[in-house]
Amino acid sequence: MSLSIHDIHAQLTQRYADDDGVRVELIEGLTPAVMVELEEYGDLDIIVASSGEQIVVSTILVPASQVKDVAGLNAACMRLNPINPLSNLGITTDADGVENYVVFGELSTRSGIDAIDEEIQALAANTIDAVEALRPYFD
Amino acid sequence: MSIFGKLVTLFRGTAHEAGEKIVDAKALTILDQEIRDAATQLDRSKVDLARLMGQSKLSENEIGARDRKIAEYSRYIEGALAKGDEALALQVAEKMAPLETEQNAARESKGHLDQSIATLRATVSKTESRLKQMRAQVDQVKATDTVQRAQAAIAARHSGTNSKMSSALGSLERIKARQAQQGAQMLAAEELETDAGDGDLNRKLAAAGLLEDSSSAAAVLARFKQPRQLPQQSAGLLPGTVPVADGDVLVGVITPRDSHN
Repeated sequence: MSLSIHDIHAQLTQRYADDDGVRVELIEGLTPAVMVELEEYGDLDIIVASSGEQIVVSTILVPASQVKDVAGLNAACMRLNPINPLSNLGITTDADGVENYVVFGELSTRSGIDAIDEEIQALAANTIDAVEALRPYFD
Repeated sequence: MSIFGKLVTLFRGTAHEAGEKIVDAKALTILDQEIRDAATQLDRSKVDLARLMGQSKLSENEIGARDRKIAEYSRYIEGALAKGDEALALQVAEKMAPLETEQNAARESKGHLDQSIATLRATVSKTESRLKQMRAQVDQVKATDTVQRAQAAIAARHSGTNSKMSSALGSLERIKARQAQQGAQMLAAEELETDAGDGDLNRKLAAAGLLEDSSSAAAVLARFKQPRQLPQQSAGLLPGTVPVADGDVLVGVITPRDSHN
């Protein structure tokens, strides 16, 4: 069985119903996405979106405008990526043309909610580790 | 050019344009075109495959029929030879010889045909899996686009006065601020504890009659016994501050409690 974004929203909401440290919200739009805000990780926003059988779990590492050593950061990211088994690093441009460095993972819509939740938690932990380690490259 | 090549060319071409957003739209166009091309190729390969398989089947039937004919001629030759009719045997053998040549050629040609079928089958399955990958890539681009729209919506939400930096860098700063606050609270709690628990010092001070609110009988009595020593000293001091031998002032004894009033 394959999960729709609304299924993911409903199941995550249920899962964190009794947890004040986790806020789950459906972000409406052209195509809806799910936002999970984690207090434990400094209110980090994790976005879950899907298309076809593909699920993307993503969070912003740092806006490109706050990077002071672009070449240094890019090289560090390229070196980190192969030895970081859980999440990928990349640059995306959002709907308003704002460039962000992002950390993301992919799953199939056939993955269960446990796998999706695991990915969210792992991504958050990884991202905070990464931003702390890469802090010297930022403003 | 490969899809990778086309996408990289696309990034290079638009790297300096203001609206880099079009990259995703163009990437989707490229992928859609690739998918259409691959689907067309797949259809063509499947038609070719069907045709070749038909030919192979036909050729197989012909070979079978020829085999039966050859077997029949063989029996005739054997029969003629058994009867000693060599002339008849030769006559049949003359018919059979070209049939055998034909059969060898047919077998060889069918071998080539089957090889082409195997190659085409591999192409079909490769194209099918390439199509699947490309469709997954389209989904990846679309899902990423949805993520970006959601992130932009969240950023817009926080762009007002009550701004929250919605990036991991912002979160790291919040974590550090919270840790610092927790640290300060713990320190304050410890100070309060010390403050509350400095009864030892207070007791000594009280015993020495140095605490303003000291009301022990011993202190009262001591005050009366040595009235000249104290009044002039305590008069100029703030409550709770106590002069010590080397001239330093112990402000910390009472102040933490005051700061939490």
